[in-house]
Amino acid sequence: MTVSTPPATTVRINRLERIWKETPGLLGWLTTTDHKRIGILYFFTSLFFFGAGGVEALLIRTQLIGPNQSTLDPATFNEMMSTHGTTMIFFFVVPMSLGAFGNYLIPLMIGARDMAFPRLNALTYWIFLCAGIFLYVGVFSGNAPSAGWFDYVPLASKAYSPGPGIDFYALSLLFVGISTTAGAINAIVTIFKLRAPGMSLNRMPLFCFAFLAVSFALVFALPALSTALILLELERLLGFHFFIPASGGDPILWQNLFWIFGHPEVYIIILPAFGIATSIIPTFVRQKMVAFPLVALAEILVAFLGFGVWAHHMFAVGLASATTIYFAAASLVIVIPSGIQLFSWITTIVTGTPRFKTPLLWIIGFIVLFIMGGLSGVTFAAIPFDQQTTDTYYVVAHFHYVIFGAAVFPLLGGMYYWFPKVTGRMYHERWGQASFWLTFVGTNITFFPMHILGLDGMPRRNYTYGPEMGWTGLNLIETLGAYLLALGLLSVFANLAISLFRGERAGNDPWGGDTLEWSTTSPPPEYNYAVIPKVSSPYAMWDEEDREEDRRNLELGRKTLERGHETPASTAVDAEWDEILEMPSHSAWPPLVALAMAAVFTMVLLQQWLGAAIFTAILALTVVGFHLKEPEEA
Amino acid sequence: MSSVPRSSIPRSMEASGPGEAGAVAAARRTAPSGWWGAALLIATEATLFSCLIATYFYLRFKTGEWPPNGIEKPSVTLPLVFTGMLVATSLPMFLSVKAAKGGAVRAAWWLLALATAVQATYLGLQIHLMVDDLNSFSPQVNAYASIYYTLITTHHAHVAIGLALDAWLLWKLARGITNYRLIALRVAAFYWYFVSVAAVAVVLTQLYPSL
Repeated sequence: MTVSTPPATTVRINRLERIWKETPGLLGWLTTTDHKRIGILYFFTSLFFFGAGGVEALLIRTQLIGPNQSTLDPATFNEMMSTHGTTMIFFFVVPMSLGAFGNYLIPLMIGARDMAFPRLNALTYWIFLCAGIFLYVGVFSGNAPSAGWFDYVPLASKAYSPGPGIDFYALSLLFVGISTTAGAINAIVTIFKLRAPGMSLNRMPLFCFAFLAVSFALVFALPALSTALILLELERLLGFHFFIPASGGDPILWQNLFWIFGHPEVYIIILPAFGIATSIIPTFVRQKMVAFPLVALAEILVAFLGFGVWAHHMFAVGLASATTIYFAAASLVIVIPSGIQLFSWITTIVTGTPRFKTPLLWIIGFIVLFIMGGLSGVTFAAIPFDQQTTDTYYVVAHFHYVIFGAAVFPLLGGMYYWFPKVTGRMYHERWGQASFWLTFVGTNITFFPMHILGLDGMPRRNYTYGPEMGWTGLNLIETLGAYLLALGLLSVFANLAISLFRGERAGNDPWGGDTLEWSTTSPPPEYNYAVIPKVSSPYAMWDEEDREEDRRNLELGRKTLERGHETPASTAVDAEWDEILEMPSHSAWPPLVALAMAAVFTMVLLQQWLGAAIFTAILALTVVGFHLKEPEEA
Repeated sequence: MSSVPRSSIPRSMEASGPGEAGAVAAARRTAPSGWWGAALLIATEATLFSCLIATYFYLRFKTGEWPPNGIEKPSVTLPLVFTGMLVATSLPMFLSVKAAKGGAVRAAWWLLALATAVQATYLGLQIHLMVDDLNSFSPQVNAYASIYYTLITTHHAHVAIGLALDAWLLWKLARGITNYRLIALRVAAFYWYFVSVAAVAVVLTQLYPSL
């Protein structure tokens, strides 16, 4: 880039490089507030948890490879099954999507230089890391939770789960919930306030609409889970009564609170995938998304409607008929916005000129799996059918098609798509395509037979089955499929890891991408953009005149904001330039606050109340430290 | 280029005096990021209170007698008076923000100090009432007692956090006003409005058996 750059431009870029320079080495990573570095930290940490959850899944499938196996004893099977679900949902999919993809890409896509609250952003990562370690200290010390990922009482009550496993579960989820809430708030404020001047809401990429919807859903869904967890811990640690009927409690209360959170959580998991799909499709079919405004509305509507359907997880618990009928109807309504998106993706692909590169293959695979998972999901709205299949492998098949097929496939496609941007190098294309097919075939071999086993009555969560049940063949196929799937995933990450060192240089825009991030260097500089980009449409990178104007602005020193860590703030809807903000730079306080918080949670787990009080005081001091330096003093 | 000429776009963080900070606040066409962050925090906290209040009524409708097991119905007068006291502190909080925006930092500080004193007194009186309750029935007696104390303690924790916020602001404002501190004061006032509304919801739930 610098070869043909005019001298004035070089001077400006050098100045920005100097202003935004990160601290080198490990200290730089510990104290960073750069959204891209935080995104990378999120990526590797959640990838580690993906590996842990994957190993647990393989142990479960190995135990079920044939009848009466003894790879895992019943208690360990329960622990692996519970930890697998908890890890994949709370410590892989959500932090990978919101933490890694959201953090790295949202500011780049909206033409900002950082998130709205950079230090809070760092804090969310360190809290997430500490919460994950907290859960796995339980797992490795023989105290893994064992009441399933939705942790139903009375099984999770002290009487039936006396060990600290459930406490590790509840406290780690409360802990990570702080991180997720703060991350969601940060994403919403960033999207509303930090869009490049000119990027009115109708010019914002669909990716950002999806993340906006997810973040709002998190803000309103997580408190229900937090309430449930607080009540459970008060009951378990202090002898309160909420779920025990003899003392006036009710176990169904847990189910209501959990699923008021749990069903929006399903859309929280899947909406980022929709956002990634709407980024990849236009680039690889060389066409703008069909029905852009409808898709944007549908993304938000899915998140909103997700709050009105929780009891469809509870059709078998004996609710009143009127209640179940309402929730069945509400569940069917979600088909409409989901259908709008589905038809938009398909129409855009078939009316464009697709280039079947690896990222698009993952998205097509996602569409196929989402249709299958979506259709099996619709069947649950038929109440008698739901009651028959509740707690069978049919449900396991459905949600793995949705959560693995539909939510994780686009994440993997996104990893290939943005790999050149993040690393500056290309991955190996043929290897990438082979990995896709391996994973796609593995996914279907693993999860499709579960539909049949479920309809045949095989219950979920059982640690084994007898040979007389007739389930041996399909279970064997599923387990072999799971190993194939694991091989596919290993192949994905091996390709990316090797390409990181040996891949060809990517350049700024290897795909002819549609959104702003492709206009900056690969990897992007600390300040993201030397000049605040001009935006006239949601496909800003395809507006060549605007990009030409950016180059002229840089030469002339317009919109370069080179007096400090500066970024523009805009009005929320029309994105008119409102003020210039000085963003805080590196800070050592976020990891310290997270550590103090971890100490408080540990003391609560150990029921050391004096210790908990002391560490709460220390936590308060670290929070004061966090706020000692005002942004302009940083 | 935006429709606004660059020369009129303020570098907000450079506003480090009473007049400048107020001018930046007046020129701003939408709320600052800090205000947005506070609004969303309040949204999530309000949902938490809604879940707790929903839990209260869920448990209530699963139980015939309420309060059960001979627990006395809560007395009405003092909790309502105290809540009125807390709600009234919204006025000095509002006036404090107004004074700070107008550059009257000293007035802002004193109004905030007045609100803080009343809020701290409220918390002290509330804790006193709760200790009285604890002498009559413990949270471990039954589901009514458990949700009763959980709801009230959650509210108290929010008041305590607000007081910590006040104390920090009093310390900061004593050293003058900046754009950052003015936003912090607006955020604190916004938080207290929310705590006041939550206090009304909590006290009405708490007193429901006697109403």
